[in-house]
Amino acid sequence: MTFLRARGVVKSYGHTPALRGVSVDVDEGEIVAVTGPSGCGKSTLLHCLAGILRPDAGEIRYRDQRVDALPEATRSRLRRTEFGVLFQFGQLVAELTAAENVALPLLFAGTGRREARVAALTWLDRLGVADLADTRPGEMSGGQQQRCAVARALVTEPRVLFADEPTGALDSLTGEQVLIQLVRLAREQRTTVVLVTHDVQVAGYATREVTMRDGGIDPTGLGLATSVRYPR
Amino acid sequence: MRPSVLLRLSLAGTRTDLMRVVLTAVSMLLATLAVLAALNVLAISTPLAVADETGARLSTQYSNALLREPGLRGGTALALVLLTIPILALAGQCFRVGAPARERRLAGFRLAGASPRQAVLVAVAETGIAALLGTLAGLGVFLAGHELLHRPDRRGQLPLPTDVLPAGPGVVATVVGLPLLAALVTALLMRRVVVGPLGVVRRSGRTGAPAPWPGILIAVGAAPFVTLMPLSRWLAEQDVPNWLAPLALFLGALFAAAGVILGTGWLSYTAGRLLLRIGRGPATLLAARRLVADPWTGSRTLAALLACMLFAGGAAGVRAWITTGRDVQEEASRADAAAQGYPYDPSGSDFYSRTLDLVDLAVGVGVVIAAGGLLVALAESIVARRRAYAMLVATGVPRRTLAASIVWQVAAPAVPAVGLALVVGALLPRGIATEVGVVRMEGCVDGVCARSEESVRAIPVLWDHLLVFGAGGVATVLFMTAVGLLFLRASTAVEELRVG
Repeated sequence: MTFLRARGVVKSYGHTPALRGVSVDVDEGEIVAVTGPSGCGKSTLLHCLAGILRPDAGEIRYRDQRVDALPEATRSRLRRTEFGVLFQFGQLVAELTAAENVALPLLFAGTGRREARVAALTWLDRLGVADLADTRPGEMSGGQQQRCAVARALVTEPRVLFADEPTGALDSLTGEQVLIQLVRLAREQRTTVVLVTHDVQVAGYATREVTMRDGGIDPTGLGLATSVRYPR
Repeated sequence: MRPSVLLRLSLAGTRTDLMRVVLTAVSMLLATLAVLAALNVLAISTPLAVADETGARLSTQYSNALLREPGLRGGTALALVLLTIPILALAGQCFRVGAPARERRLAGFRLAGASPRQAVLVAVAETGIAALLGTLAGLGVFLAGHELLHRPDRRGQLPLPTDVLPAGPGVVATVVGLPLLAALVTALLMRRVVVGPLGVVRRSGRTGAPAPWPGILIAVGAAPFVTLMPLSRWLAEQDVPNWLAPLALFLGALFAAAGVILGTGWLSYTAGRLLLRIGRGPATLLAARRLVADPWTGSRTLAALLACMLFAGGAAGVRAWITTGRDVQEEASRADAAAQGYPYDPSGSDFYSRTLDLVDLAVGVGVVIAAGGLLVALAESIVARRRAYAMLVATGVPRRTLAASIVWQVAAPAVPAVGLALVVGALLPRGIATEVGVVRMEGCVDGVCARSEESVRAIPVLWDHLLVFGAGGVATVLFMTAVGLLFLRASTAVEELRVG
């Protein structure tokens, strides 16, 4: 049984094709970097794998369950319980504090406010931003916001973390710090990570790299870097 | 999701969200006052004993004939309930305040794992809570006003029905029912908004250019008015219930109002195309392009005002009918009195005039409420487009050009739409009758009259009234646009380009 599998996934936006029959497998515990130039379909693939977008054709399976065939509410529950999602920026709710933002997935799952806050504070502490618990996103730096977002993505202890250019909006030093924390915590929890990036250095943190080009997997792996298994 | 979490998330927001909550609460307060006032009027009990020489059972404790006479209370209550139409339209506009930011927040919730139902529930809860606060405040204001206005005059009569309270179940139904209605409407409106983890998409129900089809609705609405008199004899023979004809007229008026409001989409589009053809400056070009691109904004923002204008036109038509009838009757009575040699007593002839003045007052109140909705809609549309406006200013477009384009954008559809609403409203009563007559019997002995004479007079169109209403409607639109433009300066600050 493959942990996460995409087979012949096709997705278009209007008349513009984004994915042209992509097939990819991800094993449990892997950290897979999906790389490629802008517009090659990396983010669309990630959104399809995470059940955010429904492909036009093909199938997505997570632990043998057809994700793409699930109704929206079930896919939402899957994202809340099994998956964590991390974007480049703008994912925190501006009106809520950092602790409330991190607690949100637990609150939506029915956890009590006090219990959810304790879990949120624990994760903020692990990410080194516990002192910002009662601060709103607008009062934080980009790096601090992204650490909060990482905490929110991991607070439910997901089995898979989908990260779309998680350090794309940060300077290289801050980006590296966030990425080191993300990879360390994912390894500690044995969380599988699918990471979209166009940065070769970021891809270097992965155990495997999948290179995309023009809406498909580049078999040569020469989109940005050679397709290599990093022995990490 | 636990109720405490739902409460926290539904009340999370910025100052704009707080403003939306306050405005929604205020509009619900007004709606509660209108409904409770109507229930209060209906709670007046009709005395069993005969109160006057004509045999009418009057509630003599009131100084106002609308409350004293049992036959008029239903109409008075209906007029008060009708006032809720512009108020609910105002509530609808308030719901749109800060909508983009709220929808972004809902998308954030979805990204954090909320199901589509949970995201909608948050929006519905926000409106429901705001509306409940409004209805509770409305109940408080009503009860306080009830106490404060209980002031009998020198003759011991009351100007308002402050000696009775609305029935308990009615009060509970109002205080709970209005928030439920608001929540339901929110849920329905949210059906057009797809909130996904990647953002918000609006489902547009209407595509393509608007057509003048709503004119058919106006024709359908006019049908009960036009056919009432020809069918009256047949209806009498069929022994149909008394309420059927008024209901048909009411539904006809609703259809006509819907036709005028939806027709404003076509008027906006046509006005936009016309402006494109004849406009010369950049302001008219901007306005014309906007009107053609989104012609439905006009019908949405002007809906309540147009409903008031249609009602005003109808009131002018009814006034013409009643005053003409009264004049004809008065002449006949005067002639009868002269022929029979007793003095003519004109007492009571001003009752209908006073009642019609009250109807005009109700129209005025409705226009004021509708103007509030118009202002909210204008301010919201300016704030929602602040980035685009700020970009235009940053590239050198003068603010006065933008202001002029907004004035054109509002006025171009408003002027013909107000005219159309007034004309349709004035024509509806004329569908029933265009002339009134009185039959005078002369030389009657034991019920047998020597001859009869019919005095007929055409009902005039009260152009002066229509003109005043029309000018008032257009002036209201222009005044509110001017007030709305106060938001333009703040919204075109170049800093707005940095707002996400």
